[in-house]
Amino acid sequence: MANSHAAPRASLFRKYFRALFAAVVVPLLIAGGIEAWFGYHDQRARLNDLLDAEARMAAVKIQDFIEGIRDQLGWTVLLPWSENTSDRRRLDTSRLLRQVPAIESLTLVDPDGIERLFVSRIGLNRIDSGRDLSFTPAVIGARSQGVWFGPVTFHGGSEPFLTMAVSGNRSAVGVAVADVNLKFIRDVISEIRVGETGEAFVLDWPGRLIAHPDINLVLRADQAAQQPLQELREAIRAQPGEATAGRDISGRSVLAAMAQIPGVDWSIIVKQPLAEAFGPIYAALWRTGIVLIAGAILAAALAYWLTQRMVGPIRVLEDGVARIGAGQFDHRINLTTSDEFEHLATRFNEMAGELSVSQERSERIGRLRRFLAPQVAELVDRTGENGLLDARRVEVVAVFCDLRNFTAFSANANPESVMGVLDEYYDALERVVGAHEATLISFSGDGAMVLVNAPVPCPDPALRAVNMACDMQRSVQTLLVRWRALDQRLGFGVGLAMGPATVGRIGSEGRLHYNAIGNVVNLASRLCSSAENSEVLVDSVAAAAVGSRVSLVDLGTRTMKGFDQPVPVFAAVVDRIPLTQI
Amino acid sequence: MRRRDFIALAGSVAALTIPAGAQASPVIGYLGSETPERYSSRLAAFREGLAQLGYVEGRNVNIEFRWGEGRYNDLPALAKELAARNVTMIVAAGGAEVALAAKSATTKIPIVFEMGGDPVALRVVDSLSRPGGNLTGVSSLSVEVSRKRLEFLQEVRQGRNVFAVAINPTSPTSGSQLKNLYAAADSLGLELIVLKAHSEEEFNGMFTAVTEMRAGGLVFSSDPYFAYRSPQLAALAVRHAVPAITQSRDFPIAGGLMSYGGDFNQSHRQSGIYAGRVLKGEKTSDMPVQHVTKVELYINLKAAAQLGVSFPPSLLTSADGVIE
Repeated sequence: MANSHAAPRASLFRKYFRALFAAVVVPLLIAGGIEAWFGYHDQRARLNDLLDAEARMAAVKIQDFIEGIRDQLGWTVLLPWSENTSDRRRLDTSRLLRQVPAIESLTLVDPDGIERLFVSRIGLNRIDSGRDLSFTPAVIGARSQGVWFGPVTFHGGSEPFLTMAVSGNRSAVGVAVADVNLKFIRDVISEIRVGETGEAFVLDWPGRLIAHPDINLVLRADQAAQQPLQELREAIRAQPGEATAGRDISGRSVLAAMAQIPGVDWSIIVKQPLAEAFGPIYAALWRTGIVLIAGAILAAALAYWLTQRMVGPIRVLEDGVARIGAGQFDHRINLTTSDEFEHLATRFNEMAGELSVSQERSERIGRLRRFLAPQVAELVDRTGENGLLDARRVEVVAVFCDLRNFTAFSANANPESVMGVLDEYYDALERVVGAHEATLISFSGDGAMVLVNAPVPCPDPALRAVNMACDMQRSVQTLLVRWRALDQRLGFGVGLAMGPATVGRIGSEGRLHYNAIGNVVNLASRLCSSAENSEVLVDSVAAAAVGSRVSLVDLGTRTMKGFDQPVPVFAAVVDRIPLTQI
Repeated sequence: MRRRDFIALAGSVAALTIPAGAQASPVIGYLGSETPERYSSRLAAFREGLAQLGYVEGRNVNIEFRWGEGRYNDLPALAKELAARNVTMIVAAGGAEVALAAKSATTKIPIVFEMGGDPVALRVVDSLSRPGGNLTGVSSLSVEVSRKRLEFLQEVRQGRNVFAVAINPTSPTSGSQLKNLYAAADSLGLELIVLKAHSEEEFNGMFTAVTEMRAGGLVFSSDPYFAYRSPQLAALAVRHAVPAITQSRDFPIAGGLMSYGGDFNQSHRQSGIYAGRVLKGEKTSDMPVQHVTKVELYINLKAAAQLGVSFPPSLLTSADGVIE
């Protein structure tokens, strides 16, 4: 009993949890998945635009830096060399170096391509050195295009420099060539912030790093270390207009976009760590995850609560059903949950009531069956007792029978054969009594008493009783044929008498008997005692009631104990009395 | 029983606290060639740089100082002393001598140097971009621009073609600077008188010689020994009425005529930043030698007026600081 309590409770919890989990978590999972999917695509599109805009803006800033230097250089190529303006030029160049710290040295070239003035922060200044620079790429480039940018060179293998040449608006003003220290772009590049921690860096045309917020990376000029940045640029070039995922110099995953800086043909790349770029997505996923866990916990808690709510009434029901099953039909299951459980409890209670009624009924039938024929008992039960067994005075036929010489037989024979004989004997009598719908009042030893017309009245009780007595004789005689093998002296006699008697229940509740009391009972008993083997003795009243329907033989009168007058006795002729067989 | 428990508990607490305490304060061994007083402005810049990385002396970093007090020959021994104290790192600030002394002392303890001159030429490092070994640092352009000093002084003293040059013969850069200066004098068409001084006692004689030899002025080569004694040199220049130019702005500020050289504030601050980065765990071999690109020109108009000289307009416009 204890085992069957625990196991189903666990499975109930599991079922509830599964159902609630499906109800709570699965929709969340689907919603979270959809959110993440669309969120990712929105964020990706947003990042494309954002990084693209950042790259363009950064490019503009770098361009401004270069344009600023170009504009400053432009001031030095305003005056034609034909005029005597050397002092003015010295002043201009001094001012330029002061204003533009990135310019390390400046060369002014006249229309013939001859170096006229060289001013440097480090080296010695040169005035009218007369060097012919007309065939240098800087002078040729500036003359043809107005502005010329040289390749980036790394001084001492470390510091990036750019040579830049600007020509004036007419050939007479010559060309200015400046060496620009690109370390100064650092001030510009450090200010560019993409999101929280995103940065920008600049690669020149061959892919060398020339500007990075960490100037050390530039100064190290380590081509191998810069390989990832070049790969990143190639990846962006492969997918133009889209932010591309890749790795930066420290191996971090980044999302990057690129813009070209015209003129110098550099690429500026803005990058944002992937973790930050997709931060909102990760945050959403985290939120979904937490909600999912919370949902699972909620489902478990709900399942537990529901299970506990179920288990209480179920245990009450279980207990109640067990008690009712054990026969305690007056037990009532007390549940006031105002739900199906209460309904079920009410049904159980009703069942217990019906079982109680049914048991009473079967007990009653059992009681009736003890002395009524089964079909009579059923009938009585169906129609109701209605005082049938109450005491009253009616006209009955009392039938007595017993075995002759049984006492002597039972004293000598072994107990098995005695009981075997009695079993067969009672069985035969009961069958006959049942067939005639008479009432078997009692067996006592080898004798039996049967009543006809009480407690259930029947038509023509005398005839019925005589026929029954003859049948008894016939069936017992058949048995006797065999029993004589055991004892030669065994025999069977029947006596019956008709008359008024008091009938009813006699005895305590526990040992209830139905019995008849009256002279007729005594007479029938005496007649039985008086009967020889195979005889059926009938009194005068019964004989008169039967009339000629059964052949009776008048045996005259016999004196009987307890009767003052000799009593007339008739014998019913039993067909085929197996005397001939003896 | 109880006492044993207590001892066990106390032991475990001690075990927990000791490494935490040791981790909290790294020790910087700071090697300087002079005295704390002469270094005070440099030290302030250095601490500023350290603070930029979040290090404050006494709070999360300790600094062990060793001062050469002008005796440059003592520097290698002082550096070895620091190395023997097993400091977390060594900062060798204030010149090539200090850097070389530190380099000779250890090949394991990271060193951040601060110096003028080319660290590759002086064999402090193999390469600027990838110094290799256990040292890196900051280099200013002071040494490279000593020839510019001659040029500027010549511009002030138009018409004079003999100039005196002050050299510290013990400086590792003296040879290269002298070569540069001779080349510059050649291209400028000037004649040089080389005056050597490696102690304070020789300063006075140097200025007397300039006056006696009727040189147009005195150009100081880049040398920390001179730079840290700018006030003395300025006083002598004023007393002897000698137009002179040195590398350090302290000189015109103290009454000298002019200076042209690297910005020591910037270079010492940068050395502080580098020291902080090393403390943070960066490898010196990954840190390129930083050039402080800024070269500053300071002029003193009052001194010029007293000397009866005038600055050409081009110098006036390009001066980063003018003392009036």
